[in-house]
Amino acid sequence: MKADTGKYGLKRWVGAGLIVAFVLCARALGLTPGGLIPPDAGHWERTGAFFAAALDPAFDYEDENVPDEADPIWWKGIKGVFLTLKFAFGAMSLAVPTALVLGFLGSSAWWPEPCGRRARALLRSVYLVSRLFMSVIRSIHELIWALLFLSAMGVSPLAGMIALALPFSGTLGKVFSEIIDEEARDASQALKAIGHGPVQTFLVGILPRAMPNLVSYSFYRFECALRSSAVLGFVGIETIGLYIELSHEEFYYREVWTYLYLVIAMIVVVDLWGAAIRRRLHTSTGGCAI
Amino acid sequence: MPSAFRLDNVTRRYGSLRAVEEVSFEIKRGEQVALIGPSGSGKTTLIRLLNAMLSPDEGAIRVFDSDLDTCDAGELRRLRTTLATIPQHLGLVPTLTSIQNVILGQGGSRGTLRSLRDLLFPSRADALEIHTILDRVGIEEKLYTRVARLSGGQQQRVAIARALFQHPAALLADEPVSSVDPARARDTVKLLGELSAEHGFTLCVSLHDLALAREFFPRLIGMRKGRIVFDGAPDELGEEDQRALYDLSDEEMMADA
Repeated sequence: MKADTGKYGLKRWVGAGLIVAFVLCARALGLTPGGLIPPDAGHWERTGAFFAAALDPAFDYEDENVPDEADPIWWKGIKGVFLTLKFAFGAMSLAVPTALVLGFLGSSAWWPEPCGRRARALLRSVYLVSRLFMSVIRSIHELIWALLFLSAMGVSPLAGMIALALPFSGTLGKVFSEIIDEEARDASQALKAIGHGPVQTFLVGILPRAMPNLVSYSFYRFECALRSSAVLGFVGIETIGLYIELSHEEFYYREVWTYLYLVIAMIVVVDLWGAAIRRRLHTSTGGCAI
Repeated sequence: MPSAFRLDNVTRRYGSLRAVEEVSFEIKRGEQVALIGPSGSGKTTLIRLLNAMLSPDEGAIRVFDSDLDTCDAGELRRLRTTLATIPQHLGLVPTLTSIQNVILGQGGSRGTLRSLRDLLFPSRADALEIHTILDRVGIEEKLYTRVARLSGGQQQRVAIARALFQHPAALLADEPVSSVDPARARDTVKLLGELSAEHGFTLCVSLHDLALAREFFPRLIGMRKGRIVFDGAPDELGEEDQRALYDLSDEEMMADA
């Protein structure tokens, strides 16, 4: 009986609680297993058509109104992929430097030692403000930022890029500040002990020490930025997502699949590239005793 | 000889724990001193008080010609550029090469922009000097090797080289040999003593290995629970003193068991 009050007992209660919560949520949302089945023949037909199109992607436009001199669909798709890449790259180019500054302000490994009470209070408030700022900008999804910026600036590539860069700066900055504080204490302490100033300690000690993980994480976020920039097409920004959205609206499912396959190919290539980079970074710091 | 370090009734607490309690001693310039005592006796805290990384709660510390409690942040930094410190985990930047780590030894006096330039384009004069130093500590062929790829013993040599490139007035080392095998530990401690004699800097090393301390240091300062329980030459350290330093009291035995 005593074991039930121990940690296994607690785990069991948490597990049961999660199941009950799921059932309650499902009931509140009116979910039934039958919801997975299309309700009528029309829906059945559309679902069937969509998945059948996966086996038969379009090599020519399904839309007969497309003029002959237009790019072939596969070329349009590849261009869309490159637009998506450009978007993600542009957003990351804004987000990474911003995140470095925010990560610096939101970390404490570089603080001077010993630190007087007033200096400490000041640094602590800078730390908290930048952490709060990062939380705020990343708690709003890029799609919502995009809606805000598009209504303010019109449908411009810059608006989309900023909308993407903002939440990404928040996430990157938070993780950067954690990497900095967790990894670089030893090196930063040693440099401060021989007279390096706070900013100097950050630039010559902490940053090189944390660099492999900063690069590796930035690359992972670049992959996320790619997916997000494709999705921004759904609010009108010209990435491959826009082409998917337009074809889907017209029920040109075979075109949709052509674009989807190109997206998948892009993600796979970037994933492989990222994995290769991470492997290299890992071996360059491997066997590290300190 | 004028003094390098002078402590008067220095106490440093962490919360309710007294890491260093009412400690007074003087280390003369050029002297070689080993701090001995079991782990948790306050050696690391003492070293961090000596290089002004910690300020004492009570008492006064004088380092060379500066009273630490009257120094502002800038003066403390300038003072630290003359004190080389080798921390317990060496504090190297593993992603940088040996020469880049060593050149940071003078970063404190050179400033931020110069340090960045040094990392990317070391001057010929610096490279030559660092090569000579690495030659002296026995790893000259590792000049352009990333520190992460060096063995523990080689990393230790890089840390010593960084301290030498600083041209310090004193070198403080906190358990510098805790992570290498006994033969290598002996070589390293011997090397530190030789370098101190060659360059004339004051040497203060904390060691948990009593035999090493007795072999290479003319003066030992023994600490136990934050207090000094011995201060003298190795041959003055009797069995009674060793018991006072290392033997577990009844209550500690109970706590251990």
